[in-house]
Amino acid sequence: MIRTYTLTVNGQARVVAIAPGEILADVLRDKLGLTGTKKACNLGDCGACTVLVDGEPMTSCLLLASEMEGKAITTIEGVAQNGGLAPIQKAFIHEGAVQCGYCTPGMILAATALLEKNPQPTVEEIKDGLAGNLCRCTGYAGIIRAVRRCENYRDDGTCAKKEAMPENTRYRSVTLSMPRVDAADKVTGRALYTADITLPNMAYGKILGSPIAHGRIRGINVSKARALPGVLAVITGTDVPDTRYGVSPARYDEYVLVKDKVLHEGDNVAAVAAVDEKTAERALSLIEVDYEELPPVLDVFEAVAEGAPQLHERYERNINTVVEQNFGDVEKAFAESDCVREETFTGNHVYQQPLEPHASLAYWEYDGTLVLYTSTQVPHYVQYMMAHVLHIPLGKVRVIRPAVGGGFGVKAATSPLDLCAALLSRITGRPVRMVFTREEMMRYGRGRHKQHMKMKLGVDGSGKIKAFQNEIYLDGGAYTSFGVATAYYAGSMMPTLYHIPNYKYTGYRVMTNKPACGAMRGHGVPQPRFAFECLLNMLAEDIGIDPIEIRLRNAMTPNTRSVNDLDIQSCEFAATLKSVYEKSGWKEKYGKLPRGRGIGIGSGGFVSGAGYAIYRGQVQLSHEKPREPFVKKPIFPHANAVVKVNEDGMVVIVMIGAAEIGQGGNTVLVQIAAEALGIPASRIRIRSEDSDISPIDLGAYSSRVTLMGGNAVATAAAMVVDRMKPYAVAMLGCGEAEVRALDAKMFVAGDESRSVPWEEVARKYFNDKGPLVGTGCYKPPEGLGGDYKGSTVGTSPAYSFGSSVCEVSVDMETGKVKILRFTDFHDCGTPINPQMVHGQVEGAIVMGAGETILEDVQFDEKGRILNPNLHGYLIMSIKDAPEIFSGIVDSYEPGGPFGAKEIGEGSTLPVLGAVGHAIANASGVWIKDLPITPEKILKAIRARQPTKEPGVVSGSALVRLED
Amino acid sequence: MLLSDIELHQATTLEQASELMARYAPGGRLLAGGTDLLVDLKTGRVHSNHVVSIQRIAALRGISVANGEMRIGALTTASQLAFSAVVQEQFPAILDATRDMAAPQIRNMATVGGNIASAVPSGDLPPILIVMNASVILWSPSGAREVPLDSFFVGPRETVRREEEILTEIRVPFPPRGFGAAYQRFALREANACAVAAVAASLWCNEDRSIRDARICVGAAAPTPKLVPAINTLLAGKLPDEKAIQRAAGATVEACRPISDIRGSAEYRRELIGVLTRRALQSARQRALGGKQ
Repeated sequence: MIRTYTLTVNGQARVVAIAPGEILADVLRDKLGLTGTKKACNLGDCGACTVLVDGEPMTSCLLLASEMEGKAITTIEGVAQNGGLAPIQKAFIHEGAVQCGYCTPGMILAATALLEKNPQPTVEEIKDGLAGNLCRCTGYAGIIRAVRRCENYRDDGTCAKKEAMPENTRYRSVTLSMPRVDAADKVTGRALYTADITLPNMAYGKILGSPIAHGRIRGINVSKARALPGVLAVITGTDVPDTRYGVSPARYDEYVLVKDKVLHEGDNVAAVAAVDEKTAERALSLIEVDYEELPPVLDVFEAVAEGAPQLHERYERNINTVVEQNFGDVEKAFAESDCVREETFTGNHVYQQPLEPHASLAYWEYDGTLVLYTSTQVPHYVQYMMAHVLHIPLGKVRVIRPAVGGGFGVKAATSPLDLCAALLSRITGRPVRMVFTREEMMRYGRGRHKQHMKMKLGVDGSGKIKAFQNEIYLDGGAYTSFGVATAYYAGSMMPTLYHIPNYKYTGYRVMTNKPACGAMRGHGVPQPRFAFECLLNMLAEDIGIDPIEIRLRNAMTPNTRSVNDLDIQSCEFAATLKSVYEKSGWKEKYGKLPRGRGIGIGSGGFVSGAGYAIYRGQVQLSHEKPREPFVKKPIFPHANAVVKVNEDGMVVIVMIGAAEIGQGGNTVLVQIAAEALGIPASRIRIRSEDSDISPIDLGAYSSRVTLMGGNAVATAAAMVVDRMKPYAVAMLGCGEAEVRALDAKMFVAGDESRSVPWEEVARKYFNDKGPLVGTGCYKPPEGLGGDYKGSTVGTSPAYSFGSSVCEVSVDMETGKVKILRFTDFHDCGTPINPQMVHGQVEGAIVMGAGETILEDVQFDEKGRILNPNLHGYLIMSIKDAPEIFSGIVDSYEPGGPFGAKEIGEGSTLPVLGAVGHAIANASGVWIKDLPITPEKILKAIRARQPTKEPGVVSGSALVRLED
Repeated sequence: MLLSDIELHQATTLEQASELMARYAPGGRLLAGGTDLLVDLKTGRVHSNHVVSIQRIAALRGISVANGEMRIGALTTASQLAFSAVVQEQFPAILDATRDMAAPQIRNMATVGGNIASAVPSGDLPPILIVMNASVILWSPSGAREVPLDSFFVGPRETVRREEEILTEIRVPFPPRGFGAAYQRFALREANACAVAAVAASLWCNEDRSIRDARICVGAAAPTPKLVPAINTLLAGKLPDEKAIQRAAGATVEACRPISDIRGSAEYRRELIGVLTRRALQSARQRALGGKQ
């Protein structure tokens, strides 16, 4: 029974009509328009929906709105007063506490309540106060800084923090830790994410997921659902196009809704649109599906056995793809090695868990244009795939990417929500919005592949690697998704870090009745990298060489072609090793800590953007074109930018379709534009969210935005400056080659007194020639990669390198691990924004450490997920986060904008191995099976035979390092 | 994930609440803090058309002291309990349980009565309250009865409370001289995670340090929190030395029948219970004897 209630929200009495079962979070968002309150788990696990009730933080997803009469509710919109930001909001902006922004409102409210009671909390008190707020991006480091330093931002309403200065005096904008361009919107709740957007006459869509992991659909009866008042459309497999889609073009194997078989729990069976969410949910429960249940196959080794249940006819013995690569002669090299060790490792089924659930909102314009708002990392690939499945020209798809609350790879492909929203909107003639629940996200999957790895490493007496053999079975789940590339990446990235003269890789991607796996931060590489780093540490300890020393003896060097034909340009890997050695106090700790305390090392690196696009050929109507033969050069530019100077010359708009997903892409691109234009970043706006406005960029995957997007923007900006030069010449009376643009002026090189305001020159240009616009594009270099099958995967214009030292304690009685400290150094080329580089590293450390010791999607014997939520699937809380030191080594990448390369994914790669090594060092047992849970550790401790203790090295091994 | 069309009844008196619960039995549900009930309703674990809110019954709030007991109103939140002066001064063992219970937001909402009455096996308050000899008051129009907490739980999410009864108060006797209790829990994450296993222990020692009474209650690893039988027989009259503690831990492990689930195997839980029992007894001894060990 609906009744009116008076709620006091942000100091104002609001009368709302609500039903008794309505939840406060929904009423705030849907009825009061206060969308700063975020919904991420809906079960009180994550804290994103935190509001203050009479000053106390509470999760508004577990409060009935009708119980809130007479209480004072404060939402994020009520924190800023009279148009001015509260000190805590300023602190969040300036201390790097904001990335994707989805946890930010709840985090700020929890911090507000904490600071109200305790204005100068200790780090421990901050951790206790924010223990109920999960963050997936920042590693909590920036958040703790912000709360601790909030005091500095109080005073008179201005920021007391000194203006940040560029770390490199050559530059004005790049190398400067300026605040993110979107931070103010995110700390106030103004930033709009897809699920925050409501259009007039909008309908709500939901997808019916399969309750079983494997089965044939005998029949579906939707008549009861269609008859439910408020239901606008119900569709099933017969109503969707016969075109398959996916990610890897050779293996498109998904339909929008299944045609006859369900292949995993949650597989998409039907979709509905209704006037409201509740009706849509009820309609799903009225759809009757008759399944013939088939036996599920859940284990890769069972799946490849003769007679195993088959998922897809086309993948015989459920083998999705096989990779066989052989460089040099491993057999001979193993025979010549002084020490060979072979080990088997098992990975875990990790899920990205971005705080923001996937969401899509679609409608069709009068001329047949599809407008799609979507929470995506790859607007262009979504545009391409929508055109492909719906059989419409690519240009008839307009993709709008609102703020995105994190991706980490799970939003790097077209989702069923994108496609179903478009189809349901076409049928109903209304905008349709669809949002996943946390459970639906996990059943849709696309997390990290669980990898079964058998590795063999041979070294000579000095620890130099002679040969490496790598055999991996990847548990792919029910569809291909990115899987072909994953299987190649798992092998191809191994020889980029160390000189490996002989290398053999065999990879099998196998289909199982589980949600499809895809690309997650470090795509395919973190588990093999974990295994390799562990194996290298085991070998080092076998032969008595310090683990950091053995890395130095094998470390990749600049301007080198790897054994698998990848071209490394800049490389300061050795410097990262030497830096962590010094900074962590390795010499004083390694081998000298008491039992229960340990220290470990891991290294890693990644591509700065893939050398080739995901699909071949040119941008065109995809389903009409034949598969084009592969040529070793990019067909079209991977990043494209337009830089447009406003008519007054005071403001510049950078247009590029590069996806800001929380990683800071927009800010980096603004800084690069500012540097190239010679004006402050504050005069630049970026428009990256609308494919109608901005030219194609392939998106935020493979850590490509800084290098590729940055190069396109820098080129476009340089064109603007070039176009201005003749006008500057006329005004300054000098030669064109002498004109410089810097600090919002154009002046004569060597004589800054002869200058004119930048905007004055821009206005002269406009008066004479009209719009002042520059364009730029970036194509990766031609000819990347070798001449063997799969040689394109792993190619990149540049590679990052990094090393992490981890310190842990292990409770020897329970196996419980506490990650105490991380010391990390990275070679990311020139850091465009050092604070954001550290933010990526801090986030990667906490995510990577959590994935090493905590995270695993668990299945029952029928293939159903046992922990499809944030209380069963645990990600690290602020109280689990270690103390982190993040450093950047001097490096310059000639192929990157101002010398920059990637940081986002490479930062994950050293982490897993470092944690694994530290645990072994502390406990005396190597756990080769992720995640390294307390239970496994304790079991291994109990089962330990008296063996050589790890962590004991001879002193002489360190001599070379000391030099 | 959205709530079904529930009908919400906002009771302002105990009589009203009890009458509503009787009227809608067996499907009615009491709503206090809502942190368990709303999750259950959202996930479909529980279906109920009638929810009776007792949030407006002022008599259920607050902590008082009478007859040598602390009386905790059922609607007292976990945060209010942890910040109350009497708990901070007299019941440090209760703080062991509230410190790591769920998250700050949840502790601001979840009530002591709810944490007990919901009878979720991993509830943090019941084990420590049981070893402290606590009882609950169940009120109905026909009168109130006091039930020792140790005999309150029947099974997972099942208690002796009848439909029309309201849990109004929790009574915890003030610890006598020489009494100490402690709660040890093990969870996979440092905050906001269900306990994999938990153990509460209490020791009441004589002037000569010998044990007068000992109690151990295992939580999270059994269908209900229950006192481990025969612990007192094992320890009474003995000195609380490491040997005695070790034997008690062994007896506790022997007596427990933990389950296997996503958080850990039964075997691992047994290991944990042994360790947690020893640590809880050591901490209880410290509190019982202070510097006199």
